[in-house]
Amino acid sequence: MAEAIQKKLNTELEKYTQMQKDVSKSMSARQKLETQLAENNIVKEELDILDSANTVYKLIGPVLVKQDLDEAKATVTKRLEYINGEIQRYDTLLKDLEKKSDQHRQLLSSLQQEFQKAQGLAVGKV
Amino acid sequence: MIKNEKSEINMEDPGGVTRLREEHEKVVKDCERRIQHWEKVSGDYDALKERLKTLPDRLSYDIMVPFGPMAFMPGKLVHSNEVTVLLGDNWFAKCSAKQAEKIVDHRMKYVKNELCGLSKTMTNFETRVGMVKDWENMVTEKGDYVDIREVIGKNDATVTKGKRRVAHRPNSKPKLETVLDLEEENEGSGEDAQQNGSTKSFMTQEELWARLDELEKIEELQNEQDSEDTSSSSSEDRNDTDSPTASNGLFVKSHINAPPSGEMKEDDEEDHSLPTIYFSHTVEPKKVRINTSKNTTLKFSERKELKEHSKRKKKNGHQNGHAHHEVHKIQTPADIYRLFVDVRNGEPVPKKSILKSRSRENSVCSDTSEGSAADMDERRMMGRSFSHDESTPSDNSDSLTEEDSTKGMPSHPAGKFEAFSGTVVEKDSMPLAVPFLTISPPALPTIMERKLEEVAVPDVEAPQQPVKRVSKFKAARMQQK
Repeated sequence: MAEAIQKKLNTELEKYTQMQKDVSKSMSARQKLETQLAENNIVKEELDILDSANTVYKLIGPVLVKQDLDEAKATVTKRLEYINGEIQRYDTLLKDLEKKSDQHRQLLSSLQQEFQKAQGLAVGKV
Repeated sequence: MIKNEKSEINMEDPGGVTRLREEHEKVVKDCERRIQHWEKVSGDYDALKERLKTLPDRLSYDIMVPFGPMAFMPGKLVHSNEVTVLLGDNWFAKCSAKQAEKIVDHRMKYVKNELCGLSKTMTNFETRVGMVKDWENMVTEKGDYVDIREVIGKNDATVTKGKRRVAHRPNSKPKLETVLDLEEENEGSGEDAQQNGSTKSFMTQEELWARLDELEKIEELQNEQDSEDTSSSSSEDRNDTDSPTASNGLFVKSHINAPPSGEMKEDDEEDHSLPTIYFSHTVEPKKVRINTSKNTTLKFSERKELKEHSKRKKKNGHQNGHAHHEVHKIQTPADIYRLFVDVRNGEPVPKKSILKSRSRENSVCSDTSEGSAADMDERRMMGRSFSHDESTPSDNSDSLTEEDSTKGMPSHPAGKFEAFSGTVVEKDSMPLAVPFLTISPPALPTIMERKLEEVAVPDVEAPQQPVKRVSKFKAARMQQK
């Protein structure tokens, strides 16, 4: 009886750790997105400062490719929007994961209690 | 012993407090690190700006160009005004030195913002750390601060000062002394208000219920006593009981001297008894009704009195025309109903609601559609009898006139009571109906109209309706018998 509970406990624990990892992953991804967001904001503003006389290059690999200023601006704006969307998606994902992890935590605690009871019984029996 | 306890308690808490302090310190360190980073960046940007300012001064510069990590080569720096700026996210822009300067300024703004935020958080957490350190000192009693703890004993502190309220026994009458006790208790237990507030209110409610029960029983007793005692004494009792009830009902203010006139506002000038208002009704209108049944009206009045003083009076109301102007005690609203009694065939019957056809017989203003034609005719007859003021062959008018004459006198002396003596002589609506019908007011058009219409066919129907009604009633009575 106690062993069965122990097995259950272990499986649940593994699931929980997995979930925690997912949470941390999405968290880090979100943080990255946030930095990118900040950066792109700065790029946008700096592009606004410049006028069309200056040539704008984009680094693709080892190559600097000339770009049109307006194109560059548009590209940067699109990227910004994309990043915002991604951040929102990650937000919702994080929420769900948190909820699930909470539920799992509760399950784990209840299982632990059962296990302790069973152990207590076993000890008593022995 | 106490010291040991304290130390035990304290040893439990430091774990949490120290942990908190450590966490706070971690945050502070992190903040410091970041601030350092940003300050370095800021310094770099300042240097860059300077360089950009001076760079366009010359067209070219002789410099030692770094070759790899270990070697340098002499070279020239040309196009001194052209700067390729990394805008971020793999974007580059070629701009002049001045434009580059602007970009640098823009970035500096951002860096400064970051620095500000970080410094704020750092100061915030530093204060927190200081506070937590103080807590720690308090807990471990290292520093000057001491955590004041009070151990709650076995309800020693909850001893009530002053008397505890005692719930009255349900059947006992509350006495003035108990009211006084209430006062004392209020003063004494005011200090322990918090602790006793709930218990006090609870007991007060109990007390209230007990009082209510008492009053109910007293009222029952009084109802029985009504037939024997004088009304004044009973009302007196009632007043006495009511006054302490009023005071206790408020249960904070003890109005021991609740004035007798407080509750029962029955003012009177009599000294010995408590003022009461007595109602007496004139019997005339009732007699009208009785006329239809061909019975003498005298009996009706007697019956009415019997109804009121059922227990008090025996069957002495037979030929007592004076009975009706005696004291008709109305002490409860229910008594009023006792007065409104029809007498059919010599027995009192409680009046029916005015919405029902029967009760509309005697009402002046109702124009009953559901009422039988007999009712209308009867009214017509009565009206006719009054208006014509003749001794018509109908029974109604005969007995009407008789009773008017006989009963007029007895009712008169009733009005000669002292002012506010307590006897109010009420007259039913019917006598008023008499002048109404004679004057033919616009308020009663329907009846008058019918009167005019069917003047021709009175006599034939008149004897029939009373007959019919009587017969119905009699039939019921016969059945009952």
